[in-house]
Amino acid sequence: MHELHYTYGLIDEDSKREVRRALLKAVALPGHQVPFASRDLPIARGWGTGGLQITLALIAPEDVLKVIDQGDDESVNAVNLRRLIAQTTGVSLTAVTADATVIQTRHRIPEERLRADQILVLQVPMVDPLRWVEPNLERATVMHGEADYGRMWVYMYESVVRAGDLRIATQYPVIVADRYLMDTTPIPRWDVPKLHQADALFLFGAGREKRIYAVPPHTSVAPLEFEDVPFRVEYTPGQRCARCGCGDSFLTSHAVSDADGATRWVTTCSDTSFCAARQAVP
Amino acid sequence: MKSIPTWVLRVDGLTRRFGVGCPRCTDSVGPAHERSQCPWCATVHACTAASFTLARGEVLGIVGESGSGKSTLLQMLNLTSPADAGAIWYREPTDPAAPPIDLLRLDRYAMRQFRNDRLGIVHQRPELGLEMRFSVGGNVAEKLLLARWRNVAAIRERAASLMHQTELPVERIDDAPPTFSGGMLQRVQIARALASRPALLLLDEVTSGLDLSVQARVLDLIRRIQWEQQVTMVLVSHDLGVIKQLARRTIVMKHGHIVEAGLTDQILEDPQHPYTQLLVSSAL
Ligand SMILES: Nc1ncnc2c1ncn2[C@@H]1O[C@H](COP(=O)(O)OP(=O)(O)OP(=O)(O)O)[C@@H](O)[C@H]1O
Ligand SMILES: [Mg+2]
Ligand SMILES: [Zn+2]
Repeated sequence: MHELHYTYGLIDEDSKREVRRALLKAVALPGHQVPFASRDLPIARGWGTGGLQITLALIAPEDVLKVIDQGDDESVNAVNLRRLIAQTTGVSLTAVTADATVIQTRHRIPEERLRADQILVLQVPMVDPLRWVEPNLERATVMHGEADYGRMWVYMYESVVRAGDLRIATQYPVIVADRYLMDTTPIPRWDVPKLHQADALFLFGAGREKRIYAVPPHTSVAPLEFEDVPFRVEYTPGQRCARCGCGDSFLTSHAVSDADGATRWVTTCSDTSFCAARQAVP
Repeated sequence: MKSIPTWVLRVDGLTRRFGVGCPRCTDSVGPAHERSQCPWCATVHACTAASFTLARGEVLGIVGESGSGKSTLLQMLNLTSPADAGAIWYREPTDPAAPPIDLLRLDRYAMRQFRNDRLGIVHQRPELGLEMRFSVGGNVAEKLLLARWRNVAAIRERAASLMHQTELPVERIDDAPPTFSGGMLQRVQIARALASRPALLLLDEVTSGLDLSVQARVLDLIRRIQWEQQVTMVLVSHDLGVIKQLARRTIVMKHGHIVEAGLTDQILEDPQHPYTQLLVSSAL
């Protein structure tokens, strides 16, 4: 029999049970931030342990795991995290979105529409969208309880008045199930519509702020917007991925060095597995 | 048979104290003891068993010396200061057949919704009523946004028209409150309070600290709003002159108790309580 070095899933069963209880509550109250006793884990602080704790609390031996960071399966963080989860659980790994049952991510939601049998776990560094208008956590909690979102709306209004536009790149605020205001950190606006009436379950974990929240399948997720200044995703007309040619995926630019040593910018799909799959199709 | 005017608000035994209280409180505080703070346990009995009714479109004045509990009572009506006892029965003015509800029995979420939809308040201190980091227009817009206005152009148009109505410089709609004078800020608060057409308007010392000409204009404005929109109002002031100009009925508070209540003219002509007599004679 294969001997595991650690407890299955690294954290003890009681802690995992507590995380699962918080998850159940989070699913029952879509968009509501549920406090939980976040543990210290042997990974770098900046990476955020919230998502990892959710994954470890959920993952079963038969699960197939995919880990992405910045949309990339091969980034150092993604590789380290995947190795840690695999070593402590023995689950199989994949880079193919369609093959995964649990996907842990930080910045992106995969481009393919997720299925009902898939769970996306998001790492969240900053939990509360009310931090823009109410830095005091206790008062912000009361505001959520009363759905007191007037000041958040004024914040949006003033953003339009000052900039003529909704100048919010990531961390876009949404109203979940017509009730709770929720942050979409740190996914780009491009991914925000994917949360709306999805088939998959989305779980959000913040380790440092000790909060868990969820968007269950088939839940309404409405970005804060105005009739005359609607929410817009990032989109540059005519721009395509330099690798797969896709014109409607979220693109990122990176510097590459040419053979002659010159540096130039290349724009490609941010979702590397999506891009690879498209390139594989002749 | 004379028809009884339908009431909008019926306040019953509203009580608020600051402190835990002690067995000796009851026999130690109130107008008869010339204090509202218990000498034994230091509890302040800010408002004790206040009861009154308010008809639709009526303006009720609340007068009393400093510390008599006027703002406390108003904050309870605004559902921002929790009452220790009593009830605030509310009847929908547009639907008199609907059963009255006790606002104090609503959960916090429903209370917040009620405040957003039905109440407008001008706080005694502008910093309590306005968010100083937002623009003046943003402060007015908040009430509209809470009422689910979702069109920036329409919001700005309405905010500008409210500013115009309250004699504020419309071109300063995007300026921050700290750049406005005290009198202007009171009017910003009025504009904000009126934005969502409240069923009940609560005004706390709306003219205090204003010079006489500004004060007269603010009072004119309130009179006009009352006349044009038939808003039910509670007007708090320590100044009988202000009350006299606007309120048909008045209650007089002292040390947290209502010591006299009735038609304003009657109270002014024939005050019954010694404190009211003193108040009237010093106002003349
Ligand atoms: N948050 C609080 N904590 C403790 N005591 C309070 C608080 N708010 C009010 N009080 C006390 O309650 C009493 C009534 O205060 P309130 O502000 O209602 O008086 P007021 O009639 O509005 O006075 P003024 O004319 O000066 O505005 C005062 O003794 C005050 O010190
Ligand atoms: Mg006061
Ligand atoms: Zn006492």
